[in-house]
Amino acid sequence: MESKSITKRRWLLGAVYTGLSISAVTATVPFVWMLLASFMTRGETLRRVFAPSEIQWKNYLLAWEEADFGLYFENSLLIAALQVSGTLLFSLLAAYPLARMEFRGRDIVFAVILATLMIPETVTMVPNFLTVSWLNRHSPFAWLNNWPALTVPFMGSAFSIFLLRQFLRGIPLELWDAARIDGAGHVRFLFQIVLPLCRAPLLTVGMFTFIGSWNALGWPLLVTNTPDWRPISVGLLQFVSEAGAEVHLQMAGAVIATIPVLLVYFLIQREFTEGISMSGLKG
Amino acid sequence: MKKDIKEEAIAWAFLLPALVVLTAFGLFPIVYAFYVSLHRWHIKKAGFVGFDQYVRAVGDPDFVYMCLLGAALIWLGVRLRAKLEGDGPAPSLFSRIVPFVLALPALWLVVRGLNGLLETGDRQLYNGFKVTLFYSLGTIPVQLGASMLLAYLLFKSLRGKGFFRLLFFLPYVTPVIASAVVFRIIFSPHPSSLANRFWAFCGLEQQRWLFESKSVAVLLLQACGITDYPAWVNECFPSLALVSITLYNIWVYIGYDTVILLAGLSAIPRHYYEAAEIDGANAWQVFRNITLPLVSPTLFFLSMVAVIGTFKAFNHIYIMRTPGARDSVDVVSIAIFDQIFQYQNAGYASTLAFVLFITILVLTFLQNSVLGKRVFYGE
Repeated sequence: MESKSITKRRWLLGAVYTGLSISAVTATVPFVWMLLASFMTRGETLRRVFAPSEIQWKNYLLAWEEADFGLYFENSLLIAALQVSGTLLFSLLAAYPLARMEFRGRDIVFAVILATLMIPETVTMVPNFLTVSWLNRHSPFAWLNNWPALTVPFMGSAFSIFLLRQFLRGIPLELWDAARIDGAGHVRFLFQIVLPLCRAPLLTVGMFTFIGSWNALGWPLLVTNTPDWRPISVGLLQFVSEAGAEVHLQMAGAVIATIPVLLVYFLIQREFTEGISMSGLKG
Repeated sequence: MKKDIKEEAIAWAFLLPALVVLTAFGLFPIVYAFYVSLHRWHIKKAGFVGFDQYVRAVGDPDFVYMCLLGAALIWLGVRLRAKLEGDGPAPSLFSRIVPFVLALPALWLVVRGLNGLLETGDRQLYNGFKVTLFYSLGTIPVQLGASMLLAYLLFKSLRGKGFFRLLFFLPYVTPVIASAVVFRIIFSPHPSSLANRFWAFCGLEQQRWLFESKSVAVLLLQACGITDYPAWVNECFPSLALVSITLYNIWVYIGYDTVILLAGLSAIPRHYYEAAEIDGANAWQVFRNITLPLVSPTLFFLSMVAVIGTFKAFNHIYIMRTPGARDSVDVVSIAIFDQIFQYQNAGYASTLAFVLFITILVLTFLQNSVLGKRVFYGE
């Protein structure tokens, strides 16, 4: 009896791992193929081969130079850095009173913030472009073709505020009482006590913002008309449409554009999955 | 009292930066988009045209009223039924018939109105809605079903949970631009493309994938040797190009859904399962009566996110769009983008955008009121 149930269990586990492995392969095949193709010669991409006979490192050099990736890369990193730090600061500041303070209109403000999640980018695109052009004319520094237009509109992030609020609500009240007895105000409490506890959610929000800024395509096309501030997504798309049938170079470009994001992901993946799990919980 | 005011001031000061940005670039644009949509507006504002562009986009207002009237009647019927059923233990014949009597003309009004709108409105807009509908129906059930299964498997697995989760999540964190470019090549019509190689491996004929504007139903018929088919076979099914994009979308979001569902599964208290085991419930009963109801809030959350997401979808479709697919993959967002960039028509683009926004609003509301009631939030 006992041994029978053990065999059954073993079979079950076998089925579980088979299912998981099939899915894992499906999830990774496009990456493997991207990597393999990026090392092939042009001829090899046209024939039905699966792996390059000789690794063509020069594809990367070619793609890097032809697409002017150096400039785009620098732009994207700068834009991402500004956007991530701005979003983190603004969202943490906004999430704190929403999660932990009593004030009139709190629930309405929170509902309005959440409602902005439903607004498609294509709806806000034209009016925001007009707003940014107006700011461009009326402020002491340039907005168009410059970092403000590319970063500032994204610093009010409903999703980030929501996620951080979820986390802040879980911090025990006793901590605040203790801090108040020690004479700390909200600002000191937030930055000295709460901030160090927020590692996982802050990294998660940071990662999301980073991905979002790395992915931006339509908006940067609209607010820049020179390569000076154009991000990598625009550069890659341009390169891909110009490179035409040169699959190996396209793939090398795609790998280059992917590396920074994957690098950050591998570094913080534990905190990220932990933080992301919170986004689905009610409260 | 004085302290309360100080607290409130601090709270608002904290909120200020985010609120300023959200108001300026999240809320104000809606008002502004509406304002722009009432004008002829190319690079600069031209003349005020009122609702003319809405008529051009949506169609003859008479048909709009027709639809609204029909919808109002349906709503009334549903309310009436709920009220009548709530009154007595056994619903009378009368209470069963009245809602139906109301429903038939209401349905007729809606169908008639929609038909009129389709004939008089902007073909591009309605095509966009059709494509978006195919896209949502194609992605969401598959995505949620598959990720539910995966989350369940992950939940059951003893080792390697972290490793699998890491892999499943890769597609989600990969920059859309890169993965969409990769998929564009995987689903290219070239015989050496991965999709065609797989197809050949299965002994099937080569396809044009992202370049194919014909519907999958037509392709299936053609594969069976039938070349004579009515036009609706092509109209009422998604094109192969759209199906390819749908596959991409599923591939990207399964990991995200799985991780969130896994968190939902882990949050179910163990004693429910123990109680079920004592009662001798089998695996299916446990899943049906404990797991599913208790993760239903998570599933609901994910379905909301997914519906809004498919209606907002833009970047990857823009990248995977090909001339061969014609307008068979052009969701509403793409149509709006074309108005901005190709025709430089900000006024009409804003009209379309506003229509899209209202649609998302109504859908979210409907989803919340219809599905939201079936969700189980615990005792």
